[in-house]
Amino acid sequence: MKIITCPINGPRPLQEFHFGGEVRTMPDATAATDAEWADYVFNRSGEPGVKREWWYHVPSGTWFIAERDNCTDEFLRTYLYRAEHVDG
Amino acid sequence: MPYRLLKFALHKKHPEPRMFRAPAELRSEYDVVIIGGGGHGLAAAYYLAKDHGITNVAVLEKGYIGGGGTGRNTAIIRSNYLTKEGVNFYRGSVELFEDLSRELNINLFYSERGHFTLAHSPASLNTQRWRAEVNKHLGISSEVVGPEFIKRKVPEIDLKAGGHQAPIYGALYHPPGAIARHDAVAWGYARGADQRGVEIHQQTAVTDVEIRDDEVAGVHTDKGFIKTRKVLSAVAGWTTNITAMVGLRTPLVIHPLQALVTEPLKPWLNSIVVSASLHLYVSQSSRGELVAGASLDPYELISMRSTLDFAEGMSTGLLDLFPCLGDVKVLRQWAGLCDMTPDFSPIMGTTPIKGFYIDAGWGTWGFKATPISGKTMADTLANDHDHGLIEAFNLSRFKRFELVGEKGAASVGH
Amino acid sequence: MDRRLPPREGEWIDRSRPVKFRFEGAAYTGFAGDVLSSALWANDVRLLGRSFKYHRPRGIYSLAGHDANVMVEDGRRTNIRGDLLSIEPGLDVRSVNTSGGVERDRLQIIDWFGRFLPVGFYYKAFHTPRWLFPFYENRMRKVAGLGRIHPDNKYPPSPKDYAYCDLLVVGAGPAGLAGAIAAAEQGLQVLLVEEQPRPGGSLTWQWAGEPAADQHLFGLLEKVEAFDNIRIRCGTQVAGCYGDHWAALIDDDRLTKLRTKSMLVAAGCFEQPAVFQNNDLPGVMSASAAQRLIHLYAVKPFGKAVVLAANSDGYRAALDLHNAGVVVAALVDLRHDGEPTKLAQMVADVGIVSHTGHAVYEALPARGKKRICGAVICPLDRDGNPRTESSIRIDCDGIAISVGWTPNVGLIYQAGGRFHHAEQVEQLVPLELPAGLFAAGRANGVFDLGDQIDDGCRAGLAAAAHLDRFDGEIPDSPKHQVAAPTHPYPIFAHKRKKNFVDFDEDLHLQDFENAHQEGYDNIELMKRFTTVGMGPSQGKLSNINAIRILARLNGASINETGTTTSRPFHRPVPLGILAGRRFHPQRRTPMHNWHVQAGAEIMHAGAWLRPEYYKAGGQNRDDCILNEAANVRNNVGLIDVGTLGKLEINGPDAVRLLEHLYTGRFRKQQVGRLRYGLACDETGVIIDDGVIARLADDRFYVTATSSGAAAFYREMQRWALIFDMDVTLINATGQLVAMNIAGPNSREVLQELTESDLSKDGFPYLGVREGIVAGAPAKLMRVGFVGELGYEIHVPASYGLHVWTTLMQAGERFRIRPFGVEAQRLLRLEKGHLIVGQDTDALTNPYEADVAWAIGKNKPFFVGSRSLDIIQKKPTTRCLVGLAFGDDQPRPMPSECHLIIADGEIAGRITSIAPRSTLGHSIAMAFVTPELAAVGTRVKIRADDGCIVEAHVAKMPFYDPESTRQQ
Repeated sequence: MKIITCPINGPRPLQEFHFGGEVRTMPDATAATDAEWADYVFNRSGEPGVKREWWYHVPSGTWFIAERDNCTDEFLRTYLYRAEHVDG
Repeated sequence: MPYRLLKFALHKKHPEPRMFRAPAELRSEYDVVIIGGGGHGLAAAYYLAKDHGITNVAVLEKGYIGGGGTGRNTAIIRSNYLTKEGVNFYRGSVELFEDLSRELNINLFYSERGHFTLAHSPASLNTQRWRAEVNKHLGISSEVVGPEFIKRKVPEIDLKAGGHQAPIYGALYHPPGAIARHDAVAWGYARGADQRGVEIHQQTAVTDVEIRDDEVAGVHTDKGFIKTRKVLSAVAGWTTNITAMVGLRTPLVIHPLQALVTEPLKPWLNSIVVSASLHLYVSQSSRGELVAGASLDPYELISMRSTLDFAEGMSTGLLDLFPCLGDVKVLRQWAGLCDMTPDFSPIMGTTPIKGFYIDAGWGTWGFKATPISGKTMADTLANDHDHGLIEAFNLSRFKRFELVGEKGAASVGH
Repeated sequence: MDRRLPPREGEWIDRSRPVKFRFEGAAYTGFAGDVLSSALWANDVRLLGRSFKYHRPRGIYSLAGHDANVMVEDGRRTNIRGDLLSIEPGLDVRSVNTSGGVERDRLQIIDWFGRFLPVGFYYKAFHTPRWLFPFYENRMRKVAGLGRIHPDNKYPPSPKDYAYCDLLVVGAGPAGLAGAIAAAEQGLQVLLVEEQPRPGGSLTWQWAGEPAADQHLFGLLEKVEAFDNIRIRCGTQVAGCYGDHWAALIDDDRLTKLRTKSMLVAAGCFEQPAVFQNNDLPGVMSASAAQRLIHLYAVKPFGKAVVLAANSDGYRAALDLHNAGVVVAALVDLRHDGEPTKLAQMVADVGIVSHTGHAVYEALPARGKKRICGAVICPLDRDGNPRTESSIRIDCDGIAISVGWTPNVGLIYQAGGRFHHAEQVEQLVPLELPAGLFAAGRANGVFDLGDQIDDGCRAGLAAAAHLDRFDGEIPDSPKHQVAAPTHPYPIFAHKRKKNFVDFDEDLHLQDFENAHQEGYDNIELMKRFTTVGMGPSQGKLSNINAIRILARLNGASINETGTTTSRPFHRPVPLGILAGRRFHPQRRTPMHNWHVQAGAEIMHAGAWLRPEYYKAGGQNRDDCILNEAANVRNNVGLIDVGTLGKLEINGPDAVRLLEHLYTGRFRKQQVGRLRYGLACDETGVIIDDGVIARLADDRFYVTATSSGAAAFYREMQRWALIFDMDVTLINATGQLVAMNIAGPNSREVLQELTESDLSKDGFPYLGVREGIVAGAPAKLMRVGFVGELGYEIHVPASYGLHVWTTLMQAGERFRIRPFGVEAQRLLRLEKGHLIVGQDTDALTNPYEADVAWAIGKNKPFFVGSRSLDIIQKKPTTRCLVGLAFGDDQPRPMPSECHLIIADGEIAGRITSIAPRSTLGHSIAMAFVTPELAAVGTRVKIRADDGCIVEAHVAKMPFYDPESTRQQ
């Protein structure tokens, strides 16, 4: 089974994780048009490439960000959200 | 005695012509370019030619025809969906499938086996009843049945599902549920399209779609540029490559879906069995193999790699339902790609880009829709207007928050 | 006739343990260590199976499980390979897929009809007339398929295992053994896995005739034994290789899941067939099979043999046959220049006649085709075509074939390695290996024995270097030998078309030409149309020849023609081994056993076990449920609601977080009070609801639905990060239990167990208190779910059973009874409370569900709010309403999800229904179109069998509309 490196717990097997989807930046709800909001809610960037994704280590309740190539399935890095959060 | 076989004995040389030509040159202009030589793309080409007389068409397939989802699915055909739009759409497909072997003159082994969607809880049974009622209302044969009925039709099933989890409460039974020889569907449509003048180009990859002023102007391939005003993207699990080329935002996310096949066995399973709670589906092919699949891989990945996790989970589920199969051996496992939508309905029809048409969002429900998607997409391309059966599936529905909710009717967990 | 040879060094049979077994109803004797195929061959039984399509007689081909000629069933297990089945006393097997036994198989007549049944014949016929297809399909299904399942078969649970190592070496032949040793010398933990019952690989059969080889084997094994850090497992296959070096090891008993840091594939090769007329009949086998018969099982393969060779291995095999007493009537060498080594002279020295530049053109069947009686050989012209006018007939009962090899490297493909066809060895060799993956020996295209050992050593060092355990010089792979050990095209046409390329699928040469003619002219289409490689041996003996044939038909090179992917499993794996013991986690509350003792009918709610209802005094289910509910209304009842999600939200931003997650307002909620919480997802769809209790300014205690709690907690944590909230979140669902005591007498019962003020003023409706109940620290909440005076009691799990039993005791004189899930659902329906997931579906928003009141006024933002703004602008398409039924209704009543029909259209559906309620009439909740939503509207519901049942829209709550009872 695949191994993912949780920033807190280190390398753990895939079955301990939950995939939380790509990292999306919420637009300003009041400023966004209906179309912009619908795009945020529904549309995704599903094309091949290195993605920033939410992952969750279930036993320890740890959310973190992974940069992963969605074709080779290689995890380039994983890190806690707060540590690298950039506004906007 | 099938008299058609006589000719094989009576001719010294094998009397069969090519199924479809191997056109040498890719021309510089076509009326329609179809990206994707799977079942859907080939069916669309066929109906463009047959229903609309549009034959100046090129189907571009980067690998070999039917090599994507069409060649990898578990070949279940049914119309017992949940929404009115879904039922009417898939019903159209089943009706086409029923006569398709004759129409394409190739035996698709379209075999009505009866389809069970097992419910392991009262709540699940309610959802099956919802489907049954909608089906019956729209004239589709479906009914809720109890455990005794299931046991009669599938004597080898363990109604207790192993005894350590929820038992089988009942099922949605859909007598017209069928299986078919999935590859042959692609071959049949390919021949039908080719015979009517469509060009099928294998080993031809699209590298870009040329858009000028929000209109399709042509297609770049690894064999040169093609001028065209109409492009259909029919590549299912590879759709996000194409949408990236044209800058179209969609909800699609790609997940692998795995399946496995056992060694051939003498016939014993006559029905198609799906468990909504165990997230598995299984049928026995006419070759005798058990073909089985389960739920989607848990994260996005554009790769058709296999996992041991899948094989283990699948086997557990199969033995929970059929404990006598412990010695039956798995021959092979494989994977395909599923382009998933939030509401488990497809994305079909026109797009904001004039001349760019999309047939996508086929998730785990694409093979059964092959004929009707081809027919409706051909109509849509010919008239530059969404066919009635697929209006509800337009990409714009998400912007309008008008989802067509089929999560209750997909075989797979999510 | 007994074909057993005298005892020989290194044989795998134990002559001190004879084994009696039965095959096809006849009794035979073999030895422990025999496999079924060898034991039968020793008894001169050659007809071991029938082929899939034509039911042609088949015997031993590879004797290594590379073919599927010998497949048997024993009344319990099915599709057992004869090559891999060790005989045991009492074994009683029959061949699969025969009609009347393997000798007289009635279906052998199909062989005569071959000309009507070219490849893909079934696509060309049987589909019209349509009505007849099911009949044809039925017949085809019966003829297809191999073994039968046995409905009573019980497979013993097979516990799985885990293992770890630095280096997995696949194959304990010369290269594998050498590689393991080299790696172990550098300190690596090595696991050496061999699929045969004993180690040695080709040293045990291919080189067994040579004294030097024995020394190699003995020496290597001795060295391996000496290392503590080499573990060796025989009788084990590496069935598949998966991401992050995860490998599936399968033996007869179990699946071992191995995590390794590197992998060395030294699994040798599959010997490839030559394609000529009748190359599939019993007596025609690969030379390695003949050698295995001789060296491993001490069985004389034939009386008189022709050897077909295109490499040194064939010459070695001819000598082995000769030394075992077989008359080698001819050695037929496809190569015009013959054998360049001294083996040519050695063969001549023992009187074997060689025919260089010749081919075996046809095997001649004896009467009945159950064995062969001769071979026809022809000279080849310079283009490799047989000159049949100069053919010679040679009497023989066996043809041993050694024309080439293909590497056993499926695992490398699975790990992402790439191969290319190398002309020096006429086989696929690795082109690109991913990091941590190595190949050695014949699998790497190295055939000389000494070179194999050197190559293995090199690979072992490379693995050590990869793991930073060796920084010395690593030699290059030995150069490939001068003469390719594989013939590029050992394939000969024949007009009678029984020259087989794929034995499993009965595909002959012409089938491929036909397929190509029909346009299936790339390797994938050809595979799918012909089914080559799709049978039980998965192409081990057919894929390469198929690629060669296609390449030639296309006028292309092998590399241009490509290959098909390799998928798990190497050898088929039983479902029982993959499934193991089939664990199904269950979650139980501490009161579970109490419920069972009390007669509860237990139901599954996800992983949780809950009492559906309690069986009482011979009453049926419906009566039990109604009585439980009535008892709550009239006296007092107690329900275990421990499965509820229980979440703590503490910290300076607790209110902010709640206001972001839920639709409501909580800023002004008083300490000691409860509010209803409704949560939506980003699309505005209801995903959870519960009760929000404020214990302090910055401490909230929240309940969530049983099925949604884990996901909701998880999302809560994510939102807290995204919104940068200073909160502490705790999921206490498993740590605490909860029970609800409800009914007019509930206060009196509870008061006996607690000093807390339970008075109406001291503890009003929708209040929350912390206190001690029966000695347990407790949170008490006055919720209104079932519509009676009641208290929800949350205590630590260790106190759960004690508090429960104490309440039950205290309540005895108040006629307390436990009530289950179904009674609770009835009671809440009477109060018009929705259940998320039952009365809502995957698309329900608060407006449709009539809970828009829970949306706080003038809230700037909550998850889903912006979407709800958009949704609100659109016309509502459905409304959740209450339905009441008159008394004069036909039975049976509708069920959940029966549809509301208006003007012949679907106008809604029932979401919850209680045919019997404590009110004395039937009630329901349903979605209806807005036109039907007004109170009093008559609606029609289509129940089973199309029966129409009438109801009318009723105001909810049905029971106690002013909600005085719960105050």
